[in-house]
Amino acid sequence: MSAESSETLHALRRTVADITAGLPGEDGRLVSFGVTSLDAALAGGLACGALHEIGPTAPLHGGAAAGFAMAMAARALRGGGQAVWIQPDFNVSEAGALYGPGLDLMGLSTERLVILRVPRPRDALWAMEEALKCRAAGAVVAELASEAADLTATRRLALAAREGGGLGLILHPNTAPDDQPFCSQPSTATTRWEVASARGARDRFGGLGPTTFALSLVKNRRGRTGQWRLSWDHHECVFATSLSLPVAPAARDGSPRNVLPSNEWPRDEWQHDGQPHAPFVRAG
Amino acid sequence: MGSHTHPSCAPDEPLVVTRLVKSALRIVAMDDAAQGLGLRLGMPLADARAMYPALAVAESDEHADRRLLDTVADWCDRYTPLVGLDAPDGLVLDIAGCAHLFGGEAALGRDLLERLAAQGLHARAAVADTVGCAFAVARFGGASLVPPGGMRQALMPLPMAALRLAPETVEALAELGLKRIADLIDLPRAPLAARFGEILVRRLDQALGREDEPITPRLPVPSYVAEQRFPDPIGLERDVLGTIARLAAQLGVAMERHQDGARLMQVALFRTDNKVYRIEVGTGAPVRDADRIGRLFADRLAMVGDACDPGFGFDMVRLAALVTERSEPVQDGFAQGELARGGFGRADDAEFSHLIDRLGARFGLRRVTRLIEQDTHIPEYAFAAVPAHAVRRSENAGRTRQLLHPSSDIRRPSSDTQDSLSPTRPVRLFGRPEPVEAVAEVPDGPPARFRWRRVLHEVAAAEGPERIAMEWWRDADGHALTRDYFRVESREGLRVWLYREGLYGRETPAPRWFLHGLFG
Repeated sequence: MSAESSETLHALRRTVADITAGLPGEDGRLVSFGVTSLDAALAGGLACGALHEIGPTAPLHGGAAAGFAMAMAARALRGGGQAVWIQPDFNVSEAGALYGPGLDLMGLSTERLVILRVPRPRDALWAMEEALKCRAAGAVVAELASEAADLTATRRLALAAREGGGLGLILHPNTAPDDQPFCSQPSTATTRWEVASARGARDRFGGLGPTTFALSLVKNRRGRTGQWRLSWDHHECVFATSLSLPVAPAARDGSPRNVLPSNEWPRDEWQHDGQPHAPFVRAG
Repeated sequence: MGSHTHPSCAPDEPLVVTRLVKSALRIVAMDDAAQGLGLRLGMPLADARAMYPALAVAESDEHADRRLLDTVADWCDRYTPLVGLDAPDGLVLDIAGCAHLFGGEAALGRDLLERLAAQGLHARAAVADTVGCAFAVARFGGASLVPPGGMRQALMPLPMAALRLAPETVEALAELGLKRIADLIDLPRAPLAARFGEILVRRLDQALGREDEPITPRLPVPSYVAEQRFPDPIGLERDVLGTIARLAAQLGVAMERHQDGARLMQVALFRTDNKVYRIEVGTGAPVRDADRIGRLFADRLAMVGDACDPGFGFDMVRLAALVTERSEPVQDGFAQGELARGGFGRADDAEFSHLIDRLGARFGLRRVTRLIEQDTHIPEYAFAAVPAHAVRRSENAGRTRQLLHPSSDIRRPSSDTQDSLSPTRPVRLFGRPEPVEAVAEVPDGPPARFRWRRVLHEVAAAEGPERIAMEWWRDADGHALTRDYFRVESREGLRVWLYREGLYGRETPAPRWFLHGLFG
């Protein structure tokens, strides 16, 4: 290759780098899940200095989506720093207030969390942008309705996240059943997650097992999409693949899904590339 | 000083203000035209009407008078931070150390009267060494400037009322032929005090400067003040913010010299027409950095918005640190690198507390909260949301607690002693528990299915009951019923925190079910 063409190549690479400026840099910190296949799909983990969107598959899974956001924030704070959680007033009355004992138990220490209540949704945008710009905020979670987090808003937020280096999480609240799903909106978020609660394993005495999430990664700018079912060990703040599961998340449109015998589930490999809704499920 | 405007009255027509005194409407104030007619204060309105049937009358409004006086006092803040009220119609300004800014005491007085006159207020002013003397000269005297130590000469010719005495005392003195202060000033003190009370001697002493009389300021006197005046009023937000930043820099230097930092700051914007806006900003940690102070006020002003109308512009801006706190100098140059290494140092703490301050300035300090554990077993009171700026260095607090109880793990609430694979408390709690219809197989057993927000959920697994009794002294109100909490997982995997209110058979015949929170 001649020197000239290599120079051109270099220039082109720089142009591409400028275009993809919304993407977090390769040197950015990553919040790993500790689950090999998921970390591989994310090229190491959830990127700090970037924006991620989390929403429930159905209104009743709002608690699970909030729990997943807490788990991710908790993992992002393991290196230090503080978290900011922004809630519009309406969400507090509709979806419930953050509960201190539950936060501590999920691993997100209340001693390192500041909660901001804002009167209007668009105040949440301003507050999130300011919080993301602050280098000391390790994680910023904002509960934002889908219509508030449009393309322009998320672009601003993504740039702010890149400046501050914290983990930016947009948590879509419980949407009413006839609302547009948040994934239909364009956004500059690096990843988008649809979260549902899943039935977890039982413990030895027949009691409730670890919190279990049915995650579907429906957008991923750093790799493939897919579905995972993870359980959260709140004592150690780690995710683990959950296998002994009777039910997968329901399809958004409620259509029946293919059935896969449980003994044929490949270990740790049942995520699916490309299509957001994988065609597998076992009836409960 | 006083001014009454009456919409139905032309400026030159006589106008009197009346109030019910001794069961008759009497004149308590009047304008120059009325005075020219020979009316007197205290004259019954009926008499005045008999002389001049066309007399315009307004009823006195003490609240409006008080508001006007407050406004004028606010405006007088431009001369000195020490402004005291002398109700109902006077103000006392402590101009010690301020007069030279205006070209001397006489010039200050002239400036004040001119500006008040431009706003339609008739006022009289006097400068003297003591409050008592200034009062007497301003209301009863001629010359407006009493030279230092010249109180005696200034007071001598004035009537007795100039001593701020009760009307009865003035009358009683007059009956004895003591009408002017000169008649009284050299009399023996003991008989005077015995006959007319301690107050007479004291007022005389105060006026003559033999006894100290402090001025009670209307507003707290700040420890640090910086101000800027403009010959040409400014109105643009950019200019105001720029001025605040400049003043903050001045203030910062002064505070650094004394190793202080501001916890509460106030910007006073003096509009050309008498109006004064005061905007306050509180912080969680002492601040003296000019940029940070400037940004806090920028956020605050953005929220105040239209409520702070510049009108024809501001001709003075003052920045004051109302509450300060000792703040050691911090060397933060080296700490900057800590972030790059993945750690969080003191500089980041400072930056985070600045973020909290800014969010507080924008949305109000009460909206930025931290959750603080409370000593109660009632679930909804387990944590209290406390304004974040009031919580001091949480990590330090945690460390202290750990020192006191080295063995206890302070991060975990006591409920976690129940060793469970899943969290025992929900992540979200409804402020008002939502009623659900639930069916249990046995009256005090776990629910088999429940209907929440019109959707029926089949229970796949349940843990409980966790019985939580309310405090015994709450028996009187409606929340006294014991609750049996269940952690429930539905067929869809939804995990909720349900409780049954009331013990079946013992407390209530038909317990009701509520959904209190959602698990992750």
